[in-house]
Formats: sequence, C-alpha cells, structure tokens
Amino acid sequence: MLQTLLPILIFTALAVGAIGAARRIRLWRRGRRSPMRWQRLLRMPKRYLNDLHHVVARDKAMAHTHVATAGGFVAAMALAIVVHGFGWHGPILGGLLLAASIVMFVGALAVNRRRLNPPAKLSKGPWQRLSKSLLAYSVGMFLVSLPLVGVAPTTLGGGALVLVLTLLVAWGLLEMIVGMGWGGPMKHAFAGSLHLAFHRRPERFDDQHGEPQSTNPHDVHRGSRSTALFPLDLAAPKLGVEKPSDFQWEQLLGFDACVQCGRCQAVCPAFAAGQPLNPKKLIQDMVVGMAGGTDARYAGSGYPGIDVGKHHGSSASPIVPQLVEAETLWACTTCRACVEECPMMIEHVDAIVDMRRFITLEMGETPEKGAAAIDNLIATDNPGGLDNASRLDWAADLDLDRIKDRPEGVDVLLWLGDGAFDMRNQRTLRALVKILRAGGVDFAVLGEEERDSGDVARRLGDEATFQRLAERNIATLSRYRFRRIVTADPHSFHVIGREYPAFGGTFEILHHSTFMAELFEAGRLSVGVNPHSETVTYHDPCYLGRYNGEFAAPRQLLAALGLEVAEMARSGYRSRCCGGGGGAALSDVPGKARIPDMRMEDVRETGATTVAVACPQCTAMLEGVVEPRPQIRDLAELVAEALIEPGFDEVVATAPTPARAKVQPDEEIPA
Amino acid sequence: MSVRRIDPHAERIRRNRLHPRHREFARPAWRWTSAEGVTRINPHALGAIGPNGIKRLDRSGASVEASIAGGGQASTEPARRQITLEVPSGYIMVVPELAEGRLSDHDRDLLGLARQLAGDTDLAVTAVTFLSDVAGLEEAGADRRLDLANLVDAETYDPESRLAALVAAERELVPSHWIFADDFPGGGDLGRRLAARLTSDGVQEARPATRVWQVADGRSLSRAGDRQDIQRDVPKILIALAECADPVSETRHEARPMTLEADNAAIEITAGIVDRGRVAVDPQQIPLAQAPFILSAGRGVADWAGFHHAADVLGASEGASRVAVDDGNMPRARQVGATGTFVAASCYIAVGISGAVQHLQGITRCQRVIAINRDPTCDMVKRADLAIIADGDAVLAAVCQQLGRPTPVPAATEERCHDAA
Amino acid sequence: MTLPESKADASDVRTIALVSAGRHVVSGRSDRAREDARAVEMGLKLAGDALTLVHAGDPEEPTLVECLRGYLGMYHGFDMARGFDMARGVDMVERRGSGGGCGRLDLLSMAPSDDAVPMLAEWLEAHEAKLVLTGQRAECGEGSGLLPYLLAERLGWAVVTGVAAIESVDGEAVTLLQALPQGQRRRLTVTLPCLVAVDAVAPAPRQSAFGPARRGRVDVVEIGQPAPDADRAAWQFMPARARPKRLKVVKSANARDRFKAAAAKSEASGGRVLSDLTADQAAEKLIEYLRRENLLRQEKISAAEGDQ
Repeated sequence: MLQTLLPILIFTALAVGAIGAARRIRLWRRGRRSPMRWQRLLRMPKRYLNDLHHVVARDKAMAHTHVATAGGFVAAMALAIVVHGFGWHGPILGGLLLAASIVMFVGALAVNRRRLNPPAKLSKGPWQRLSKSLLAYSVGMFLVSLPLVGVAPTTLGGGALVLVLTLLVAWGLLEMIVGMGWGGPMKHAFAGSLHLAFHRRPERFDDQHGEPQSTNPHDVHRGSRSTALFPLDLAAPKLGVEKPSDFQWEQLLGFDACVQCGRCQAVCPAFAAGQPLNPKKLIQDMVVGMAGGTDARYAGSGYPGIDVGKHHGSSASPIVPQLVEAETLWACTTCRACVEECPMMIEHVDAIVDMRRFITLEMGETPEKGAAAIDNLIATDNPGGLDNASRLDWAADLDLDRIKDRPEGVDVLLWLGDGAFDMRNQRTLRALVKILRAGGVDFAVLGEEERDSGDVARRLGDEATFQRLAERNIATLSRYRFRRIVTADPHSFHVIGREYPAFGGTFEILHHSTFMAELFEAGRLSVGVNPHSETVTYHDPCYLGRYNGEFAAPRQLLAALGLEVAEMARSGYRSRCCGGGGGAALSDVPGKARIPDMRMEDVRETGATTVAVACPQCTAMLEGVVEPRPQIRDLAELVAEALIEPGFDEVVATAPTPARAKVQPDEEIPA
Repeated sequence: MSVRRIDPHAERIRRNRLHPRHREFARPAWRWTSAEGVTRINPHALGAIGPNGIKRLDRSGASVEASIAGGGQASTEPARRQITLEVPSGYIMVVPELAEGRLSDHDRDLLGLARQLAGDTDLAVTAVTFLSDVAGLEEAGADRRLDLANLVDAETYDPESRLAALVAAERELVPSHWIFADDFPGGGDLGRRLAARLTSDGVQEARPATRVWQVADGRSLSRAGDRQDIQRDVPKILIALAECADPVSETRHEARPMTLEADNAAIEITAGIVDRGRVAVDPQQIPLAQAPFILSAGRGVADWAGFHHAADVLGASEGASRVAVDDGNMPRARQVGATGTFVAASCYIAVGISGAVQHLQGITRCQRVIAINRDPTCDMVKRADLAIIADGDAVLAAVCQQLGRPTPVPAATEERCHDAA
Repeated sequence: MTLPESKADASDVRTIALVSAGRHVVSGRSDRAREDARAVEMGLKLAGDALTLVHAGDPEEPTLVECLRGYLGMYHGFDMARGFDMARGVDMVERRGSGGGCGRLDLLSMAPSDDAVPMLAEWLEAHEAKLVLTGQRAECGEGSGLLPYLLAERLGWAVVTGVAAIESVDGEAVTLLQALPQGQRRRLTVTLPCLVAVDAVAPAPRQSAFGPARRGRVDVVEIGQPAPDADRAAWQFMPARARPKRLKVVKSANARDRFKAAAAKSEASGGRVLSDLTADQAAEKLIEYLRRENLLRQEKISAAEGDQ
C-alpha cells in the first residue's frame, strides 16, 4: 500500500511545490528587471558551501546543526525521489536513504533542542513548527525506508501503522517541499539558493573577511569588499523605491531568502537602543509587501515601540507609511552590522537607502535636520552651512601648502573632510599635520576647493546632491597632480575610494591610520613610549572596518605606541556603531537609550581609560556622552603626542622602529 | 575778593578719617586747601575699583565725587542750544515709530537724519505722530509737530486711513522729504504705501530709497539685495534703518504743534484691511529662535512638572540643554545650542545648565542671561548677567509662589508634563 | 495658525505666488529666497497644487531656471483627499504614486533692467488672481520690498505685509496673522483680491525635492511690452559696504568726562552673582530683576487689559 501511496505523495508534493515556486518567481519578477544570466546558477554551490557557510560558521554549533539537517534533508529527499518515487529499490540506495534520514534526524534533534528555549532573536510561529516537521520527515522517511534493507517486512501491514507513517511523511513533505514553494519557512532554501546565485553584489563572494587578530597588516582582501551604494539614474521616471515592485528583482528574491535567524537584530545598534528599527522585521515587511497581506503573522520581535500586526502592504502600494513607518528607515545608521552578520547575504542597507531615496527625492520628507543639512550642502558644499572658504581657518598658523600652488604635484593630498569645521576635529587634524611633517611627507591640501564628499547626502537618500558633489570633487581632484589622498575621515575615505569610481573618479586614497602605519613601517616616524602604562581600547569605525576591511593598521599603530589594547567584546568586524553614521545623528529618531551611551558602556567594560577612535563622527558621538567617561582620542592625537620630532633628539630619532620602541618600554624618554 | 574762611571743626573732621562724619565732610575729599593755604590731596579717597578688582587712581577725583553724590547718575550733558524757526521755507516730514508711545533710538536717528538733510536751511523738521502726547520731540530735533491722532485710531492697525492722512499732509505741505523707519509692520509699511500712492498719483521722484543707512553729500546709500548698495540722489521718501544718522545732541527745538488746514479732509478710504486685534500667543508656539523670553532647563532640573508650570507662570518659552533632551525630558525641538537652535531672546534664564561650549554658542545673541545653578564655578554662571547660586527647582517653585500661582500638587500637573515631553 | 477648514472655499480662490531668485546668505549661490519659499509654502497649504508660481525675469540667465525649479520642488505631500484633478486628468493616487504633483511656473520674459510691475499686473489680471502671496523683500536686485505695494496700487488691491500665517480664506476675504516684534501676532481680515507679503517668521518651507523640481513645468511667457525701469537708470549699484559701527560719542564740556566715557567698560553689567540665598530670597531677586527689565508678560498683559 505504501508503495503506491509514497510515489503519489512525493510527486504531488513536488508538483504542488513547483506551482508555488512558479508563483513565487512571478512575485520576484514584479521587481525591476535586469538582464537574466542563467549561467549564474552555476555559481550557487560554491557560494553556498563556502561563502554562506563562512558566515554561518561564526556560530559553530549552529553550523553543524545546519549541515546535518540540510545535508541530510537534501540527500534524503533526492534519494526518496529515486527510491520511493521511481521505485528503484535496492539495499544500497535504501541504506543511503536511511543514513541520510538519520543524519537529518540528528540535526533535527539539535534544532529542536535550540527551539525548546529559543533565544529572543529567533522568530517563532512557523519556525517553531519547522523543527517538529524536520523530525516528522526524518522519522517518517526512516521508517518507511526500513523495509528496503530488510529490517522490517517488505510490506508493512495495512491499517493504522501505514496511516501514521503516511501522515508523518505527508506532514514532512508538506512542510519541506510544498512549504518551500508556498512561502513556508523552507522557502529560504529555494529562495536562498537562487539569491546566492543572482546576488547583486557578486564581488562579496570573492571576499575573505579580515579578522582583527589577523597578522596580515593591511588585510589584502579588503579590495574585494563590495560596500559602495549603487548609483541611481537621476533621469529615471521614479527615483528610489516607493513600492515593493520598485526594488530590483534580485532584491525581492533576497528578502525571500531570509531565515529569520535574528542575527541582524542582535547586532543592530538602533534596535538595541530601542529605536523603531529591526532589520529582520524590515526584511519580513518587504516580503509582506511583495506578497501582499499584513504583518500580523510575523512571529518575531517587532520594531521597538511599534505594534506588530497594524501594517499591511502589497507589491503595488507605497511602502511608507502603510507597511513601514518612515522613522524605521531613518533610524538606520548604515553601519552594515546586519549585512555583515546575515548568513543569507541580504543587503539591508541597500534596501533602506533605496527607500530613503524615494522619501528624499520624490516626497521631500527627509527629517528636518537632515533636510537642512542637504540644503546646506547644496548651497555651501558643507552640511553645516558654513562658508566653505573658512575650511582652512583652523590652520591659519600651520602654513599648509595649497595644492594649487604646487603644480609640479605632491606625494600626498590631505583630504580634510567636514571635520575641518569642527573645533574638536581640528585638534585631530593638527595632530595629523604634525605627524605628516615629522614623517617628512610631501603633502598639500585643497583648501576652499574641497567640498563635502557627499556621504551624508547619499545616505540620506539625496542621490542628486551626492552626484553633484561627487562630480565637482572629481573634477577638482582631476585637475591636480598627487600620488594619493590621505584622510582622517573614514566616510570620505569610503566615498572617494569606493563610490567615486562609479562616477569616473579613481583615486588612491588611504585612511590616516593606514598611512601612519605605513610611515612607521618605513621608519619615518619615531615615538617615545607612553610613560604611563595606560589601557586603551579601540573603537572600529564602521566605514573603515566593516566597509573597507581596515582592522589591522589602527591596532598596529597602538601597538607601536606601546599601548596595551583591551578589545571590546564587539570589535573588529563586529564593532558596534557609534550612532553617527548614515545621517542618523541628523534624523535623530528617539529611542530608549542613545547608541553612543551603549558604546561607551562597551568601552567601560574593558576598563580602558582612553578609547582610541579614527573617525570625526565617532569622536563627536562618543564625546557627547556625559562625563565622567573614558577619554576619547583620535589615533592621530595619540601618535602625535608620543612623537619625537626629528632633530629634537638625535639619539632617539635614529632609532625609529616601532618594534624597538615596544620591546624597550623602560627606555628613558626625553621629556 | 572774598576772604577765604576755614571752619576748624570741619577741618578736624576732614583730617580724621575715623571720624563718623568724615565722609560727609570729606567732600570734595580728594583735594582741598588747608588752613595753611596749601593744596592737599587725599590719596585714599581717590580712584575707584576697576573691573578687575584693582584700584585705579583717577586723579580727577570724579569717582569719589560721584560715589558720594550717590549713584553718579547726575547728567553731565551740557546745556543744549535752543533753536526756534518762525517761518519755515519747507518741511521735512519724519514719521517716528513711537513703539509703546515713546521715541525709540531708531526714531531719534530718523529725526537726526532729517536735521542733517535740513542743514542750515529753514526747512522745518516735522514729526508726524498718530499719538497725542509724545515726550522728547524737542530734544530729538523736531521743529514742528503734526499730530494726526484725530484722523486715525492710534490703537488699531489701519494703514489705509493713516495713508490717507499722510496723503492729505503731502498735498497741503508738499514737504521736500518724508522719512520713515524701515520696520515692519510700522513705518516700513506706511512709507512704502505712501511711495506707491504718490507714484501712481504721478508725483515726481516718489520712488523711495529703502533700507537707507547713510546720507552724505546729497546722495543716499541704501542696502539692496545680493550684497549690494544703491547710491542715488537723496529721494523724496527715505525709509531708513536704525543708525542711519546721529541723533540730535546739541540743540533743542520747539516741536511747535501744527495742524492741517484741510482737517478731516479725509480722502475716501477703501477699508480693505480690518484689524481684529492682538492674538494671545502661547509662548510654547513661538519658534525657539524668535522667542523673546526663554526659560531653559538642564540636568540640574529634577522637578519637570514644576519647570513647565514656572514657564507657564513666567510666560516664557521653554528651552533645554542637550542633556535634558537626551534624557527624554524635553523634545528635541526645544534644544538650545550649536547642535540645536540658536536663540536670540531678550532674556534667557538657564536653570541647572552648566554651560557646555555648544550651549553657550547657542545663546550668544541673547541680551540678558540669568543663570540659576548650584555650582558657582560653572561656565553658565560666568556668562550670566545675573547668576543665582541656588537649587533651580526650589527657586522656580518660590517664583511661582510669589507670583501668586504656586505649583499645583504633582498629580494635577502630571498630564501637562506628558504633553510637553 | 490652523489650516483653513473649508478647503473647498479656499481652492476656489485663485492663488498665485510671486517668487524671485534668492541668494544664499553665506555662499551667495542662487537658492530659493527665504521669504518667497515661505509664501509658496503658505500657498501650497492653502491651494495645494492648484497654486501657480510667477516670476518676471530673464530666461537667458543661466542659473535662473534651475533656481526657480527649487520652488517647483516643493510640490509634494498633498492631501490625497483632494481627489481627481479634472483639469489635467491625472488620478490623485497615481500622482501620489510618483511622489508629488506637478508644479507650474510662468516665467515672464524681460530684461534685468526692465520694470516688472506692469507685466506682473497684466499677468495677474489676465489670470484672474484673487490671492497673491509673495515674500516681503527680494534677496537680489533692488530688494526694496516695494513691489507688492506698487502692484497693489496699480491693481487697486489691498496689500498686507509681515504676514506670519493665513488662518482662513473664503470667497470674500482672507483672515491672517501679522507678525509683530517678539513673536507677537495681530489678526487681520483683508478683502480679496489682495496681495500678501510673507514675513520670515512664517512657518518654514517644506523641503524642495529633486523629483518634483525636475518634473515641474516652467513656461516662458511673453506678455505686454517690457519697459525699462526709468528711475533705476540713474542709480549706482555697488558692492555692499560694511556699515560703520556707531561710536559712543560723548558730548561733554570737559576732557575728563570724555576720557572717562571712552575708557569705560562696556555697559554689560559684568555678571552679578548672588549666593547664599534662600529659595524665597532668590525668587524675590529674580522677580525684581525681571520686573525691572519689563519681562513679565503676564503683568504686561494684565496692565494692558487694565488700561482698556
């Protein structure tokens, strides 16, 4: 009896699942089209087995569980089709099927144990059910396959047992195969594998993440990080994403790949601060919007302060505010922690910026201070609305070379960034100038010809202003001769280095931490060892670390200064944002806590008295924390302080290697 | 020649600095002629405590005299020359603003400008007022005074009837100049109305110079848009900014009242504008940047209900420091400072705000700053014109009490507190 | 300061906003003029996208059209309830779909030295304008703030300046709030048709969005006979000079007083610090200070009421 039932069950499930899958594909294809390249499907296995697993493996237990469950299921399903579907009975195939079922069963047990007391980041509802379904499938498949190896009678007697087994298998098939096509939790396998194949950022799969402990000084792989936002065609009839169907179809596919594992939620600084953002919920809302319906069936944590179940959407109706509140989008700091953590490689930040673009460019509803900053950028080329000619006022006594007076060219163009208008950051810049001079670097500045890089405008969704600034900056930079650009602002660093190439500006740009590390390596800087043995910690700026993979140089610098670095629990690629990126400091969405306060708590936990930073925005945000708190010092300030300027003391000046400075901490330092 | 008599009793007291009546007799203490006929100077009575707390010698002795005279308020202004003008050759009309019924500095500047234009000629500087009694027109330089109070209602905004009255004056007196204050909705409004009316009536040279800030050598300089100035021959109508000329200081004029012969010759008025009266403005509705009176709270405030009540009692707009906003006690829109709003209140009361640099940057344009703080060393106290070293909550509560509206029991204020937060 | 409740009435009143090219205070780049943008904001709140913008200027000027498009970028965020727009046959939902409406600006072509008043008057009459909103003073050119008056005089309309808000409009009149110093307001009712010059304290204008700015229509219109501004020909424009700070001149007979006045510290009272006070004493001092500076509004109002 089972012999007749099983093929029917399996093929019905496959057929129904395929119908569902076809419908699902139709949903994705409602997005904006791009050329279809089927050969990309071939990339999928490598991306799945290698890149995806790389991320999953950050949680070892979960990785093993997934390998067992997923591997077991794929094998068991394939074999079941062959064995039970086509009736190719044989002890070897049967044995393999049994073995696969057992592996899957073991995995499913682990899943169930995790689901006994699920962590808050996990979604419940259907996902809770999935764990049981996995058991049902593996047990059912195991039992119905036992006769194949002759353990049980080849024909299981009719009646209740057959019914029970059939139901078990049917349950399993319903969840695993039908659910895969019809939007059940198993959808992730189907959508996820296609998403990996058609990912919008193929470069991400060539990337090896540099670890903070890496011995490799400059993270050779960071060149392959794909973190630049996609340029927007300003001549398009509609700018940005208003409705789910305005996303690229690959993005819609990506949303469907979400497994609701909640890793993004766990790392999201806005969520932790009680601001109304939860990356996981956002992606699920995009799925709701794409498929139509309400978010009432969502079974995970919602946006803090916003009730689940009150929003609805469809692929042809606007997302904001029916489906997602605007403040959810404005709470994002674009720190990319969610993207970094996502095992399915979903691009949350791209989606958020796409929707922000519509709000800013078409609806004109950028949060008040953000809109003011954009207006200032349009009128004065800097977000503060200050006279751009005063960009060098702080350096009146430093007598900096203007590059326009150096037609023969310079080695380094120092890009000041908007921090040049901020009194706090001017201290950093002064320190950096001192270091460059001590290192004998041939450098010059643009002066009043420098404009804002366009970072804030772009993250706030104003692509038009960004592109205008980018084009003007590229034109300015192209007029002058220099070998490379050095900047103390990771945002400028990222935008000039990674986002300008799309607009025809390819420049070699270094963050000042990298450049200073280089100077140390070349023996061009000599420092005295810090007389007080101070514990410092280092806060990785998002746009330097996660966006550009520079984790090593700052640490190398601190080591060269003889400072003991106490790493925060969240550092390196998992560093927590200061709350100042992506225009979040301007949109200033209220929450329960402030992100910089939470970050300062991280700092305090290390017991460090000083936190080394490498970004003007981080400096400003962290200094905004009410005292008493650890000191905030930019890397440049720390280096400049320890600097022994050439000619000041000949003896030390000839012993410049950082290694030596490090191994001789007792060396007497001339005051 | 009179014989110099010396009162030996007074001399004794004067010499004895410990005598209870010494100060009384010591005047003028810094210098006197002794019984021997020698000029004596008392160095202790000289000088005054300078701004740095260091005693400064003022050998003129004026400070001593002033302090003994009590307050030094005595006017040292020399007597003014009285100028009378019996038969004017023409008129220069000045329409002062008379905000709150008084001549303002701006009004005096306008009259000064009129005097400058009149020069040595017999043109009569005529103050045109819509109020019956205005003090100080004589010192301000008005030869004549044209009171049009009978033609218009001084209390209501009725530019059309005022314009009609001015047009009547223009027809009768044909003044060579009209001078208005460039203030909206006062003289700036009326002056432009007059100019537009005269232009359409075909009066020559009626196009006014607006925002005039200087008149020299028969040319006027007025500020135009786009960082430009316009220089032109002095036109008939000048709508001038404050400090366009120096006020009259050396002469005194008669401000002789005059009337229009064609009194009540009211030209037909199209009543297009009807004044419906002042609107009570909730101080909390005034944008912070324009608010004239701000009560601002910082970390030192614990009793927020009391704070909101105090703002209500004082009629002040509420402001806050960044920390108070970050802590969620005040909305972000109320944040004062470089990262919030730059304010220009005429009075700014900072309660429990220590005065971070960014905050102080935000209040640089405030005229008067009052700090209430427990910490006498904080920067806000240093910045303040009046600093009260005390607990902010208690002082505010006492203020409410003394103004007759004590802070209600917390239960009653709970709701208001939420509203504001 | 609330929106008019009877929107149907308001939309029957043909509303026009006169706009001009602004100059940014810091950079001097062309920009929306601050007061004109507030006038447009007021008009959009009142009439929605039925508001038409007018500018008289030289269409050949390179930055002008781009600058004027800044105002068209404000055509967004309209109420969906306004329904189907028969005139243009565009479904409201669809329009919302593309972010905002489509603004229209008529650019009356004239040379920079021409007189704008006759052209504007002719255009306004031709379009049967009822309510014309504009900024109080232009940021470029003469910037005298005279234009609303000259226009009103020529058209025989009422004109009000220093307007902070429009409270309501019906077919006959508009009720508005005029800004007085220190955030105070006065309510006026003005008969239509009228010109309203908006003060800088009016509600801030909405953001100018790139999309609607790009979509908005700018029509160059030839109207009337442009005539040169005769008065202006005799004037001399020159870069603004910094105004000299007024020195405190002390007219005194003796040198001592003049010297003392010149050397004296500035008026700032130099910060009186009162410590060791009880709360009541402190409150007394505070109230005394506020009374002396005439800052207690409650008392001012009750005094004013007492006078009446």
